[in-house]
Parts: sequence; C-alpha cells; structure tokens
Amino acid sequence: MATTLGWITLALPLAGFLILALWPGEPSKRVSAAVGCGSILGGFGCAAAIFLGLLGDSPEERTHVSRLWTWIDLGDLRVDAAIQIDQLSVLMMLVITGVGFLIHLYSAEYMAGSRGYRRFYAEMNFFVFSMLLLVEAANVLFLIIGWALVGLASYLLIGFDHDRPAAVAAAKKAFVVNVVGDIGMVLAAVLLIRELGTLDYGAVFAAAPAGLGQGTGVAEAVALLLFVGAAAKSAQVPFHTWLPDAMEGPTPVSALIHAATMVTAGVYLVVRMHVLYQLAPIAADTVAVVGAITLFMAATIAIVQVDIKRVLAWSTVSQIGYMIMGAGLGVYGGAMFHFLEHAFFKALLFLGVGIVIHALAGEQSLDRMGGLSRHLRFAYVTVAIGCLAIAGFPGLSGFFSKDAILSGALADGALGKTLWVVGTLTAGLTALYMFRMLFRAFWGPEPAGGYAHPPHPSGPLMAVPVAVLAVLSVVGGWIEVPGAWHGIDDWLHPVFADSVGAALVASGTDELITGICSSVLCIAGIAAAWWLFARDPSRRLRLAGVARPARGVLEEGYRFDEAYDEILVNSTRDVGDVLRRRVEPAGVQGLVTATVAGMRESAKGLQKAQSGLLRTYAFMIVLGLALVGVVLALAIH
Amino acid sequence: MSGVPLVYYLGLSGILFLLGLLGVMVRRNPLLLLLAVELMLNGANVALIGFSRHWNNSDGQIFALVVMVVAAAEVVVGLGLVVAVFRQRLELDVDQMSRLKG
Repeated sequence: MATTLGWITLALPLAGFLILALWPGEPSKRVSAAVGCGSILGGFGCAAAIFLGLLGDSPEERTHVSRLWTWIDLGDLRVDAAIQIDQLSVLMMLVITGVGFLIHLYSAEYMAGSRGYRRFYAEMNFFVFSMLLLVEAANVLFLIIGWALVGLASYLLIGFDHDRPAAVAAAKKAFVVNVVGDIGMVLAAVLLIRELGTLDYGAVFAAAPAGLGQGTGVAEAVALLLFVGAAAKSAQVPFHTWLPDAMEGPTPVSALIHAATMVTAGVYLVVRMHVLYQLAPIAADTVAVVGAITLFMAATIAIVQVDIKRVLAWSTVSQIGYMIMGAGLGVYGGAMFHFLEHAFFKALLFLGVGIVIHALAGEQSLDRMGGLSRHLRFAYVTVAIGCLAIAGFPGLSGFFSKDAILSGALADGALGKTLWVVGTLTAGLTALYMFRMLFRAFWGPEPAGGYAHPPHPSGPLMAVPVAVLAVLSVVGGWIEVPGAWHGIDDWLHPVFADSVGAALVASGTDELITGICSSVLCIAGIAAAWWLFARDPSRRLRLAGVARPARGVLEEGYRFDEAYDEILVNSTRDVGDVLRRRVEPAGVQGLVTATVAGMRESAKGLQKAQSGLLRTYAFMIVLGLALVGVVLALAIH
Repeated sequence: MSGVPLVYYLGLSGILFLLGLLGVMVRRNPLLLLLAVELMLNGANVALIGFSRHWNNSDGQIFALVVMVVAAAEVVVGLGLVVAVFRQRLELDVDQMSRLKG
C-alpha cells in the first residue's frame, strides 16, 4: 500500500510535466497553473497518506521496498527499478511536495507577467519529480539518476530567463559544478560495486561493516567520494560558488530549489549513507569540518551583501552548513530536524522577499529599498517572522532545530566541542545579517530618488502560501522540545538503528548550555544589527569607509570565483592556446594538408588512364581478364 | 545421351564471343558496337545452353532467357543513345565521344 502510493507520488509530477510539455498549442495560464499545482498537491496527498499508513505500522517495520522491474542484470550485479519508503524518505517527500505545492501556488501570481508560464510549470514539475526520485530511490543507481535529473532541472530553472546572459552563465556554472559532484557519486558507486557487488541500500548497509571494514582506506574513499557529490549539490566549500549566482532564477525557483529542497539533497545523502560514514571516521570528520567552515564563511559574506536575494542565498549556504556539520558529527535527527524547519522559514523568507521584489518590479538592491514596512505591511510581518525563526529567536522553529544540532555537537568529543563554538558564534552572526537585511529593506527612510516602481500589495495567491509558511515557521519547532519530547528523533530512530555506533545523544546540560548561549547571541546579534543599521541610518554610511579591504574580500565571497578563474579556467585556456597555436597547425592541419596533397599528386598519374576512348577501355578489360586467367592458370598448376 | 557433343557448343560459343570482342575493339560506329556486344552475349548464351543440355539441367536455359531480356533492354537504351547522338548532328564515332575523360 505504502509503496503503491509512493509510485503514484512519483508519477503525478511526471505526468504534470508531460502534460504541460506536450500540450498542443499554448495552454491558458489557468490550465498551466492548475495542472502544475494540482499534480504537486496530489503528490502531497499521497505522501500524507503514506505517512498516516506508516503510523499504523510498528516502528521497526516501516521500511517498504517495491521493485517494478530489473533495470540491469550483469553477472552478479542486479539493479532494480525500485523505491524504498521509510521514515526518512517520507519526511523528505512531505517537505518536497508540501512546501513545493505552496511555492507552485505562489508562482501562479508571481509569474503571471512571464512569457514562459507553461514552461515554468513544466520545469517545476519536472524538478519535483526528479527530487522525489532522488529521495525515494532504493539503490544508489536510482539515487544518482535522480541526482543528475535534479541538476538538469536546476540548470533549466536558473536559466529560465534564457535571453539574459547573466542567467545563462549562472545556469551553466551550476550545472558544471554539479557535474563535478556527480562524478564523485558515480566513482563511489563503482567502488561499492567492486567491493560489495550490490547497490541496494539494504544490502549495502548489511554488507558494509564486513565488506569495507572499519576505518579502511576503501571505506574512507567511498564516504569522501559521496561527500564530493553532497558538497556540490549542497553548496559546501569549495563547491559553493554556484549557489549565490543561481539567484538569477525567478524567486519561486530560488525558494523551491535553492533553499527548501534541492540543496538539502547533500544532507539527505549523508544521513541516508550514515552506515558508511560511521565506518569512515576521517570522512565523517571532514564532512563536519567542511560544514563548520561553510556555515561560518557564508555567514560573514552575508553581512555585506547588497542584493537582497544574495543575502538569502548566503544564509542558505550557511544554514546547510549547520545540517552538514550535524550529519558529519552523527547528529542525524538534528540535521533532518533543521532541514525541515529550514524548508519552512527559508521558503517563507524567499517568498516574502519575493513579494517585495514583485512589488518593486524586479528591484533587488537593498540600496533602493528602505521604509517598505509602511507600504508592504504583510511582507514586513512575514519576513520579520522568518528572520526571527532563522536567527533562532527562543520559541521559534530555528531555535529548536539549530540547538538540536549544536547540543549534539557539544555532546561529542573535542572536535564536536570546537565546532560547537563556531556554530554558536555564527548563530549570533545569523541574527546580525538577517536583521541587517530586515532593517535596511523595511525600516529607515525611503531611498533617495524613490522606489524603482511604486510598491503595491500582493494578491491572495501570493499571500496565502506565505501566511501558511509563517505559521509553520513559528510553531514548526515545537515537534521537538529539549527535555520534553523528541518527535523527529523518535520518528527517525529506527532508520539509524543499524548504525555501528550509537547516534549522539545530548544530555540535558548540553541542551541547557546551548539554549542559553544561542539565545543570548541571537538577541545580541539583533541588537547589534539595530544599533548599526536602524538606530541611526547615517551610521552605516559613516562606517562604509572602515575596513574597506576586508569588506571587499567579503563582498566578493573570499574571492573563490577569482581563484577558480585563475587556477582552473585560465590555465586550461592557456593549455588550449598552446595547442591551438603550436600543435594544431603543425600536427592536425599539417596532416590533413599532406594527405590531400598526396592524393592529388598520385591522382595525376591515374588521370591519364581516363582517356575517354571506349575501345581502349574494352581493350583494358580484355587485358585484365587475360591477366586474371594467366594468374589463375599459374595458381592451379 | 546422344546428340551434339559439348565441345562443339563450346567451340561455337568461343568463336562467337571472340568475334564480338574483336568487333567491340576495332569498330568505331556505335551501331556496329552494339551489334558486336550482342554477338558476345549470344556466344555466352550458346555456352549456357550447351552446359544445360550436357548436365540435363534446365537452369542454363532459363538463364539464357534472362540474358536475352537484358540484351533486349540494353539494345533499347543503346539505340536510344544512338538516335540522340544523331539528332545532335554529331559524327557517329565512339572515339569522338570522349568529353567526359579525366
């Protein structure tokens, strides 16, 4: 039952995509939106039904695998077209379809002025299908297929405005970086086939402790290669450069793909493969450290960004850093909890900011905003809720989920405690950069020269999803309250029962220390933002000259792009240049010219035989026949 | 089986074929050229029928019929070409028709 519904969940967005893509002529906007939203709503219904069905099973028997047919049958290797429904995949499915539906609904109004309305919904449905395939796959091969399709969907949607060069360049960048990750995934799959002879999750996890061994080179290699894929998809250092550029896509795309769902695929991957990471302590520590570096770096960059969507993009990178850090340390429940809450408040922030961008006719610069709380009351309130949630204000969702990761880290050894310090300090930075954005956009004076476009409030289709997400951002955290109940942890517990070591369990003291520290830092961050950006608007201008070089480094994201250009792009171009100017003329072109000249010269001799005299030809035939006859006669003797 | 021995058939066939071949090589008039080709084909036909009788197998005779059909078709095309050349008021000499040489 659960698996049948799982297949339907997968089929609905695919059907929506096919209907929209193959619809003869141009369907009306109403039809496009109805098909696009309807298929996702249906998927959410199925996912919810699966969830309710699983509640009826006993906790240990909630894993269901369904095979449709054998995809590959090669010697001992057999890979099926199969899906696996368990607690982890259902949680992901609920978020993808649930938040996805709200964003689809929002887009109906947001994209109303766009020419490619049908294409937009077709590609969005295609993305949801790919993402569902990624989380429902029952083996590594189908995981990789979903992984690659998600990359393709992301490429298509970032480059949605394909007549804008910046959007096309951003799409290409995202695709190339993601393909680097795909290569890591494929290599990991090849290693798994070689060592274990199977790709099915269940079989891999059962065979891994004996087949790979604890802490062996192979186990570390598999885990690290998988993490290359995870880091590329989840925009972790050093593969993070594509995500801020991906903001060239329409705002609902940023909300769905580059905040709520796709970029968390890396977190899902590490959590899904937790058995392998427990066998590979070095790889797991690498994951945690990369997550910590990313979350701190991205937070510092977010403080100085002027483009409002880039602030959110860097905050996404930072928040996913928290999840990756948690997953690396073994705080799987906390990582998934933060994934869930992040999907709520980050989608809320993007959609709320989307109202602002829509109202200002595409203006994204904070310099051209200010004082908007007077014009866009609804957007102001909802974005403020989102900011409080992401900053971890006590009682809101981000407070619980971020602390779940941090208190888990505090329960760990020396590494975990070090990372706890980084994570907790960054919680203060998070409050600082989020409220900087809020104050600069909504408080203070109106920009000199007025708004780009007179702000107008949004319609109900945009308001309703934002309101729902705002409510979820406020109350969503209460499904897991330290010391009282642990909804997410208990739900996911059987998935991690096969872990080699016990997952980290935070003590009450750890939770208390973390809660107090992060609350204090959150409020301090908000206060600092208020003092810097709201209390006296001219202070920001006076501070602009301070630490100019450091700010420049931050504004350019620690110059990763420049470094990649210098090291990878330019050196490749130089090699190509040498090949073109030295090797190509002498080698390739020379060879071709020599061949042509040789043919022409040798043909000149043969040309004489073509006399045009019929009788000569006949004579030649007779001569040839005679020769053949003589040769045959000699051969027979 | 009594009758004409095989060697006479082959002798006649060889003589006809060689006459035709000689005609193709020395004649310059396309009409006579076609005639000579026809002679070669019929030489081959005689050989086919001779073998057919020798082995008491009708395949050779059937093949000879096929050759006749092909020969008829070939003559039609050839004569068509001759008429076309004649209409152009050109000399009927195959050695003159060498414009397509390499």
